[in-house]
Amino acid sequence: MITAGIDVGIENIKAVILKDGEVIARGTVRSGGAKRAMSAEKVWKDTLAAARLSPSDVEKVVATGQGKGDVSFAGDRVVEPVADARAARFLYPASTSVVDVGADQVRVVTLGKGDGIAEVVMNQKCAAGLGISLKSMSRTLGMTLDEMSRQAGNSRSDIAVNDGCGVFAEMDALGLLSRNVPREEVALAVMEAVAVRINSILNDKVKPAKDTTVLVGGVSKNKAIVDALKRRSGVNFIIPEYAEYAGALGAALMAAG
Amino acid sequence: MTQDYWRWPESTWTSKDIDWKNSSTITAGVDIGSNSTQAVVMCDNSLFGYANLRTGPDYRESAGQAMKQALGKSGMTIRDIKYTVATGWGSRNVAFAQKIVDEVNCHARGARFIYGSSVKTVVDLGAQTCKAIRLYDWGRVSDFMMNDKCATGMGRGIEVMADLLQVPIQEMGERSLTVGKDPEPVSTTCYDFANTEAIGLFREGYKENEVLAAYLFAIAWRIHGTVGKVNPEKELAFTGGLAKNAGIVKRLERDMKMTALTSEYDPQLAGAIGAALIARDTVEKD
Repeated sequence: MITAGIDVGIENIKAVILKDGEVIARGTVRSGGAKRAMSAEKVWKDTLAAARLSPSDVEKVVATGQGKGDVSFAGDRVVEPVADARAARFLYPASTSVVDVGADQVRVVTLGKGDGIAEVVMNQKCAAGLGISLKSMSRTLGMTLDEMSRQAGNSRSDIAVNDGCGVFAEMDALGLLSRNVPREEVALAVMEAVAVRINSILNDKVKPAKDTTVLVGGVSKNKAIVDALKRRSGVNFIIPEYAEYAGALGAALMAAG
Repeated sequence: MTQDYWRWPESTWTSKDIDWKNSSTITAGVDIGSNSTQAVVMCDNSLFGYANLRTGPDYRESAGQAMKQALGKSGMTIRDIKYTVATGWGSRNVAFAQKIVDEVNCHARGARFIYGSSVKTVVDLGAQTCKAIRLYDWGRVSDFMMNDKCATGMGRGIEVMADLLQVPIQEMGERSLTVGKDPEPVSTTCYDFANTEAIGLFREGYKENEVLAAYLFAIAWRIHGTVGKVNPEKELAFTGGLAKNAGIVKRLERDMKMTALTSEYDPQLAGAIGAALIARDTVEKD
């Protein structure tokens, strides 16, 4: 049986096509703006082409993510924590929780008995800016997010920026730059602040288990933030290879039944 | 193809008509903001060259680069400049400046050059701050007010919105003005909230231009609040990058009954022009 999952995030749209429990194609495209529905159609077409399939070959498409309502060709929709949980269980049957850190949301999903979910904790509206202020900083620093992560990893410094508000963090970072603090150190400070904010959500209700917590979402690919988060939380996250596709994978699994 | 919607056009110009070797006083002004850097060279009372560039992570390099581009191929070097004044967020990084002057005085001075000597209220719309400056008739600053601590809703926030909505930054203002009737303004100009807010509006059926209108109206309203505190004259001299955003300026005129002065000069140059003029004053005093 062939099914598919589409995860419409604020920054990227991800698609996964699944055949008999195995991923046969993945695709991603930039999300955003009023053209989001069109972008979803584009990534869907491209991913189908990569798998050499036509839409009629796919039995069911399930959409998830903040913009799941924009996917006109989806047969069904599933809320994000459910898709996360499904993907985590599929990838690591022994996992007990999954943390999804995306462009604008942090979700901590504690898995329950059977297929259930015991608890979901999300950031409050305000931490929504995580990915947004990171990107805005990357423009100012003249580095991609990857470069920020790498350069910060090579840097040692204990300077800090505001860890409560993304806008204030940027103002602090700009102040550091105007005082000639090297941009690697500024990048490190910005990423540490992000880790502090994510960690506060981990500590909110159910603290994730040390060795059976899966970390997914785009930010899980940022080594500097992940290292800082591991150090601060004491959680030794399991990070799957295609961590940013976890939501789409979960949706595709839901489509399969 | 990914487009950098947030990237605004940089500009640079050097006069071909002015014979700088025969001018009596050459001065310069450099305004390093957190997002943009301007360098201006003036020969006596005329603009000789300028550059308006994006500020890089190394402020010293940005200052040098802007200066180099303002001089262009004129053959003039920094050594030919009698006096340079630096201003702005990163003013301490201009190695070749003899003096640092605050942004308020530089913008006040520059606005009078750009918009004429009758200017009495200057509103500088920068990357992080909105400064309303009230002047005496003879040009001295009598009062000034800044937005509260938060930088949101200013130039950086506009860049974030451009990126988020995938609308080229120079088109945002005009596009927002194409809606028949402005929708309710967004509840906060915070750009960390903006995505949640904008996506929510899309879901309610708002069109792209209406989302822009809701956002820019909220920004105009916030600016109006700051300007109102300095007992403004009706005619305002807008400076800074957002002075070029018609969606903000037109709303201040249309809905808040203010009048924006116009000029052939780029209002983003005001700080640097003011700095160069103050440099000339300093030379003349000596």
